[in-house]
Amino acid sequence: MQPILKVNLTTGDIAEYIVPPEWERDYLGGASLAARLLYPLLTGDLDPFCPESPLLFLNGPLSGTAGPSVGRFVVCGKSPATGLWAESNCGGFWGPELRFCGYDGLWITGKAEKPVYLWLNDSHLEIRDGTEVWGKDTYESQTYIKDEVGISGAHVLTIGPAGENGVLFAGLLCDHGRAAGRTGLGAVAGSKNLKAIAVKGTKKIPLARPELFPPLRSAANHALKEDNLTHVFHDLGTACVADYADYLGAMPKKYFHSGVFEGVGKVSGSTMAETILAGVSACHACVIACGRVVRLEDGEKRKGPEYETIVSFGPNLLNDDLAAITRLGELCDRYGMDTISAGGTIGLAYYLFDRGVINIKDTSGLILHWGDVKTVEQLLHLTARREGIGEYLAQGSRLFGRHFGAEQEAVQVNGLEVAYHDPRAYSGMALVYATSPRGACHNQSDYFYVDLGQADSSLRMEFYNRQAGSEKALNVARHQDWRTVFNALVMCTFANVSVDTVVALVNSACGLDWNVEDLLGSGERAWNLKRVINNRLGLTRANDKLPKALLEPYQDGGSAGYVPPIDEMLKAYYIARGWDPETGKPTPKKLVELGLEWVTQDIWK
Amino acid sequence: MATIFPSNEWLKDLSIKLNNDTKYAQIARNWEGDICVVIEPSGPLTEQLIYYLDLWHGKCRKTEILKDLSSVKPKFVLTATYDNISHIMLGELDPMTAMMTRKLQVHGSMAYMMGNVPTVLDFVRCAREVTTEVLS
Repeated sequence: MQPILKVNLTTGDIAEYIVPPEWERDYLGGASLAARLLYPLLTGDLDPFCPESPLLFLNGPLSGTAGPSVGRFVVCGKSPATGLWAESNCGGFWGPELRFCGYDGLWITGKAEKPVYLWLNDSHLEIRDGTEVWGKDTYESQTYIKDEVGISGAHVLTIGPAGENGVLFAGLLCDHGRAAGRTGLGAVAGSKNLKAIAVKGTKKIPLARPELFPPLRSAANHALKEDNLTHVFHDLGTACVADYADYLGAMPKKYFHSGVFEGVGKVSGSTMAETILAGVSACHACVIACGRVVRLEDGEKRKGPEYETIVSFGPNLLNDDLAAITRLGELCDRYGMDTISAGGTIGLAYYLFDRGVINIKDTSGLILHWGDVKTVEQLLHLTARREGIGEYLAQGSRLFGRHFGAEQEAVQVNGLEVAYHDPRAYSGMALVYATSPRGACHNQSDYFYVDLGQADSSLRMEFYNRQAGSEKALNVARHQDWRTVFNALVMCTFANVSVDTVVALVNSACGLDWNVEDLLGSGERAWNLKRVINNRLGLTRANDKLPKALLEPYQDGGSAGYVPPIDEMLKAYYIARGWDPETGKPTPKKLVELGLEWVTQDIWK
Repeated sequence: MATIFPSNEWLKDLSIKLNNDTKYAQIARNWEGDICVVIEPSGPLTEQLIYYLDLWHGKCRKTEILKDLSSVKPKFVLTATYDNISHIMLGELDPMTAMMTRKLQVHGSMAYMMGNVPTVLDFVRCAREVTTEVLS
């Protein structure tokens, strides 16, 4: 792999870092390698906002190779929202462009005296004054910096005002509206006075077996282009699942408290396609093109919302106005805030207001009525600026709930808001949310697709009913390992590519001769390492749980009457993982098996 | 009397079922579009079969067995091997699962298909209910 460029914003020092070959082999790249690299630094006493707190942007061995949906990178560190391992991955063109500069990653530490942005032009890095761009929203910032660097084809990754103001669910955006939204790393960048990173490269990405990779890549892209799911994602965007999710009772409404909402049909991907859709957008070399371009009443083309944003500002708040959802999503993008957490935290505020736990004295005078989107817009402004009620909303739902004495009502796990795939409809998601290393996350395993039937026998996964229980624990573990591989490569989970194809691509890119079990082993190693990192940061078995709302059955809708048997499922999961059922920690035996014996003393003193 | 899938009798029985099933009539009341089901040879089926169904507002207006697709322009073409489609008919394979795992190819407007999932699933229910045996 190519070197990583280390930048200390306090001293201005810049140095190349060469990753040890054995780490490259054992962890491949992306979030897995980031976990290995950051392991010594992520200690319990590390304040995510202190200068020493690392921010690591990393590609994987497939990033930017024009393989099937691999134009992605990850950003990792310690989350200010959860206090645990943080990772967030992002599409667009920024990650590939970084590789074209001759670097596979950027490792940022320190804190600049005043706002700065980085400009990496091939191998030349400048730390530039960012005072003028500080305060601009993410779209303005990208335009401003592109103009200032003055080189065509430069790509800019930036924070918005939310990151500058320390909103705990602030993210980073590039290429208009592609977001590394989750776990609050935009706020970490803001704490370093780092507004943005612009990149432009001209180099070729190295491949271990350059003669083998192109035909494999071509065949993989052709097969992917013909896949049913690709057609659905292309035609309808990620909100393609909305109608079916509603049918199954898998789409949360009224902050996870209702199984039905009459207006759902007005906000689905199919409705968007038939009404406001004006085009599609794709990440680097992606044949799927799931991104939406829509045209609203003002005639301007703008980014259309994806599934999570639609539910977050739609059925979650009992709103069925697709244009309003589009605008609220854009507002979050411009401020640089994660739409899942923003909608989730505002959903909690609405729920508590409805229940009388909070009132207008708490809400800066605002009346929170379900379905009133004008108020949502005001709350987003207050949140990004941390004004009034926004000071508490900016801390995410766990701390918002805690402030008002209702933490148990917050639909979050370990400080990260639950994504909009309800475990009462797909029980596998119960384990996914409870055990994800970054809090309630659907990208560590989009197991809902497996619960819908996408159980891949080549991963030795079996198909179980979507509301089955502990029997699917091993399946979930294997799927998490597989998606950990995706987050290492870094590959998009929407790419419905055969397992054999992924193995062949990795072998030719990395010069390996692995089989699927080797690849899964790499995923399992990284999953366990992230678990150890979190154990060291204070995570215990007690953290593996679901919020109260998800353990109360819906009264109506397609998953009415069911709650996942989370306790039984967790017991089976620990056994499947080879973890100690009492503490939830990987056992010394498991750590040795994975080549992680060097961390044993850190969690088994 | 047994209705074996696939057969002319099966297609005829399915048409009767669709035109007399009150649940289907209700769920599919807004559906507008014809479909072709292309069954590729596998297992005991040695030749391709193409079934045409004209579905409109909860009724089946016409069925036909086609030699090829040249004479029609259906809203949807569903293609699967005999083995996979017989698993669907026997209730052993969910149609949405089949679509996601490349066992059932779908060509046509995905917006319309995903916006009418209940209709699709109820159509499959009706097809299953008229299937008492499959070719073996």
